[in-house]
Amino acid sequence: MFKELDPILHAQLRLAVVSLLIGVKEAEFTFIKEKTNATAGNLSVQIQKLKEAGYIEVTKQFVNNYPQTTCKITQQGIVAFEKYVAALQQYLNVSESQK
Amino acid sequence: MDNTVDMNERDSLKIISEMIQKAKGSHFHENGTSAIMWGAVIGFCGIFGFLKRYYQWNIDFDEWTLALLAIIPQIYIGIKEKRNRTVLSYEESAMNAVWLVYGISIFALVFYFNIIPYATEQILSENGRKLVMQFSDGRLEAYEPNALSPLSLLMIIYAFPTLVTGITRKFRPMVLGAVACYIFYLISLFTTQTWDSLLNGLAAIGNWLIPGLILRTKYLKARKSMHV
Repeated sequence: MFKELDPILHAQLRLAVVSLLIGVKEAEFTFIKEKTNATAGNLSVQIQKLKEAGYIEVTKQFVNNYPQTTCKITQQGIVAFEKYVAALQQYLNVSESQK
Repeated sequence: MDNTVDMNERDSLKIISEMIQKAKGSHFHENGTSAIMWGAVIGFCGIFGFLKRYYQWNIDFDEWTLALLAIIPQIYIGIKEKRNRTVLSYEESAMNAVWLVYGISIFALVFYFNIIPYATEQILSENGRKLVMQFSDGRLEAYEPNALSPLSLLMIIYAFPTLVTGITRKFRPMVLGAVACYIFYLISLFTTQTWDSLLNGLAAIGNWLIPGLILRTKYLKARKSMHV
């Protein structure tokens, strides 16, 4: 029985954001934007979706009169990511064995 | 990155590994400012203290006051670096904790050096006792209880965070600096406080100033190549 891939994570930009955040303690919006090559608007929308799912924590503050958005993966996000990777492995193992 | 394109399992795996690699290669580049500052300050304190004692300069100035004053620019550097940082890795976070613990330990040790003589005298006098020193000619003089060879103890503490950082970040100059610091510590066990002061200064230069300058050069080179 195949595990269903988490629809929140099974989207290019959201998966990229979570994969990036899994390797660091926290990252700023500008850093994520640079690494994912996403537009600010699209990234904002996807970050909001991840936040609503409880996968990431978003902190907004002003530094030198400029807004600063910092993102951090939550425990729930880590668990979801691990499950997603496990499900992926299952799919990949099957496709390899069918070759 | 488009979010509307359909992706299969292989695409997912590709994104994950690509992003993990990008996160790995994007550590905040240490610019060496703190290391240079502390290496210069402690190096100066140690060498100045040595010269003051060795040449018996009659200067009523405690050079270690500079180490206390250096906390002010350190706070400023810390705030500025935090503001400029766009990503914080787990490794950096752990290193920050190591240096914080080091800072607390060093000040706790300096506090110990200053409190122990007074507290020991108090405790002894409460029990009707007093420490005296007997000279080889039989003369007796009151002896103020001090921690023996305090600068040797400081050198053990100096080496600890530098070695941890050097090993973790695979930064050879810091590993070598820490090893030099342990060698100076061993030598200081057999020398007077005058020479301990010189060793302390040299330990700070090897431990922080030189690695800091190397870090700074690397940082400036990396920044230059990014702006070309």
